[in-house]
Amino acid sequence: MDARTIRPDPRLASPAEVPPTWDPERDDVLVVRQVRQETADVKTFVLAPATPARFRYLPGQFITLDLDIDGVRLNRCYTLSSSPTRPDTVAITVKRVPGGPVSNFLHDHLREGSVLRAVGPMGDFTCAQHEAPKYLFLSGGSGITPVMSMARAHADLATGADIAFLHSARTPADIIFRAELELMARTTPTFRFAAICEADAPFEPWHGLRGRLSLAHLEAAVPDFRAREVFVCGPAPYMAAVREMLRAAGFDMARHHEESFDFATLATAEPEVAAEVIAAEGETSAARVHRVEFRKSGRVIECPEDMNVLEAARRAGMRLPSSCTKGLCGTCKCKLAEGTVEMKHGGGIRQREIDAGMVLICCARPTSDLVIER
Amino acid sequence: MLDKTDTHLEALLRRRKPGYSLEAPFYTDPDIFASDLDLIFGRHWIYVGVEPDVAEPGDAMVIDIGKTSVIITRNDDNEVRAFHNVCRHRGARVLQDYKTSVGNLVCRYHAWTYDLDGKLLFAEHMGKDFDAGCHGLKPVHIRSLEGLLFICLSDDPPADFDDMAARMAPYLAPHDLKNAKVAFESELIEPGNWKLVMENNRECYHCAGNHPELTVPLFAYGFGFAPEELDDMGRLEAQRYADLVKASHGEWESCGFPSQMIEHLDDMVTGFRTERLPLDGAGESHTGDTRAACRKLLGAINDPRHGALHFWTQPNSWHHFMSDHVVTFSAIPLDAERTLVRTKWLVHKDAVEGVDYDIANLTAVWQATNVQDAELVGLCQEGARSPAYEPGPYSPHTEMLVEKFCNWYVGRMRAQGAR
Repeated sequence: MDARTIRPDPRLASPAEVPPTWDPERDDVLVVRQVRQETADVKTFVLAPATPARFRYLPGQFITLDLDIDGVRLNRCYTLSSSPTRPDTVAITVKRVPGGPVSNFLHDHLREGSVLRAVGPMGDFTCAQHEAPKYLFLSGGSGITPVMSMARAHADLATGADIAFLHSARTPADIIFRAELELMARTTPTFRFAAICEADAPFEPWHGLRGRLSLAHLEAAVPDFRAREVFVCGPAPYMAAVREMLRAAGFDMARHHEESFDFATLATAEPEVAAEVIAAEGETSAARVHRVEFRKSGRVIECPEDMNVLEAARRAGMRLPSSCTKGLCGTCKCKLAEGTVEMKHGGGIRQREIDAGMVLICCARPTSDLVIER
Repeated sequence: MLDKTDTHLEALLRRRKPGYSLEAPFYTDPDIFASDLDLIFGRHWIYVGVEPDVAEPGDAMVIDIGKTSVIITRNDDNEVRAFHNVCRHRGARVLQDYKTSVGNLVCRYHAWTYDLDGKLLFAEHMGKDFDAGCHGLKPVHIRSLEGLLFICLSDDPPADFDDMAARMAPYLAPHDLKNAKVAFESELIEPGNWKLVMENNRECYHCAGNHPELTVPLFAYGFGFAPEELDDMGRLEAQRYADLVKASHGEWESCGFPSQMIEHLDDMVTGFRTERLPLDGAGESHTGDTRAACRKLLGAINDPRHGALHFWTQPNSWHHFMSDHVVTFSAIPLDAERTLVRTKWLVHKDAVEGVDYDIANLTAVWQATNVQDAELVGLCQEGARSPAYEPGPYSPHTEMLVEKFCNWYVGRMRAQGAR
């Protein structure tokens, strides 16, 4: 669709009309209404239902995209960067990951008018379930999306909540939503924003907090952080470092919340979600995602580091020989041409087979990108 | 009055003439062959291979004897086990390849999965009431005699295996077969009944005229001769050999290598024979130049001049244990007129091919000899088919061990109530 095409919307013409709530059970098609270039490698995709409907969700929740990439079916979840206070569209904000088939596909192929299938929103990483007078939002890289949603919601609703927002980026040019966050800080007296950069950007030396988030940064920027409800999202090492830092600072960890796509937890809490969710983009999930190429069948899937390769392949619609799924029978034995896995088998494979590069994919979790002869 | 119990086989066994070869049906009749499989190969200890065939946990070997297929495997406790190669689900063969390595034993039909002790670990879709404990692979009796593997398909295997093992272990132990590796293996289908294969093996009457390679290291005198027929030269040779045997046995035994002949070929259920024999020339090994074929000697042996320990078992094996390598033979009947002979050459497991040994040199003598023997067996098989065939007399000097084989066979068949 041409960007200049005018899209008449009944909601603008008729204020009395209130569309129904979007229900992916009935219509799971979302249309890309706008693509925004946030930074050099981050884009926001604004999505609307194919037939007018409104989204109801809690800030911090995610949707799961159901993608078909080169014949490979992939499910990926993205936390919404949009605010439920603007219910007619949702937005996901995606960083391009080198070699990541999904993020590259989204960046390279989604245009206004593109259609996607999706389910959700769901998830329980949300400030809405932990009401507090004071919040601290900590984010790293594209992990900013759920806390941005929360910040936007509080700003739109003028809740008056005291929010301190500390975002870590590589350079000032990589601060996602920088202008909007600075605007919110100017217009909302109870909202404070600070960024921490590791390096200068070309033509923009950074004069703010420098390096990686440390306790000294936190003490300086948010001295009363111990009195705040903390929400953290970012790459797994970032979240782990924050956890350690807060614990060392004597923070009450009951008030610490982090986004996690840990499948064991998710499967217990929301089995229907777990079934749909295969992975989250590297930086928004605790689980890193690895690319798995099946050389003979020419298929490429993504596999989170906490999922066995066979399961990821099955979820992507591949039917590979397997039987016991417990590492006993060896039916799923494959040659691992490239990469490394962590394998807990049940006797279905011999050490010398492992030494010869064989793996049982039913009980092998990737610790790097993989190429499998299958 | 007709004796109703006087069946064909029973009559043939009863009227077997000692000192003569067997009547033709023993070599040609499919019914007698079926009885052989049942009564001899189904009820006695059968030599099938060596521990190095299944050197590591997870190694497996399949041995087919008649309609029976047996899996031999090494478990994670390093024990060698044997099972019927029949899935307890719908009977599919679990393993198809002669030798393979497995994690667990998995039937590829429906992936029923057994551990290396035969226990059923996994069977999908069998419901809650299914008792996996009742569906393990059926075990087969297996024994290792210093690395030589014998199986017995009977539920009640001959108990005198232990006697043989006790007598033989000191002879075999110095060669440390368990720490050897199969350097080469050959399969040869000899065109003859298994008994002809064994009879041929049990004499060296035919050696001088047929085995130019084998008779370089091997003294034909070691297996008997007719002293009255020897000329002066021959007598001298025979005397030289007798002196050599005596001196060698004394020397070998003094350094821990039992050498004296033990022979129980037809007076034990598990019949066997052994003796350590001197070799001609350099006296080291069964090679074209009588020198050791492998530079790295077996076990703790440090002198290659230890001759060749021969070891035979009834009904189906013969072996030569030398200082540098072991050659081992297993005869497996295929049908009345064909026999599979498996030959394995073993060297120290640390010996390096191309450095410590050369396969062509290692195997030359017995590769040639096997082919020659197969041809000879084929000639006899053709003769047995002829209406003109009648049992002929064995030489009392060079074929008494053939007689003992036939005597054992006839005795065992009768003892098993062959009908």
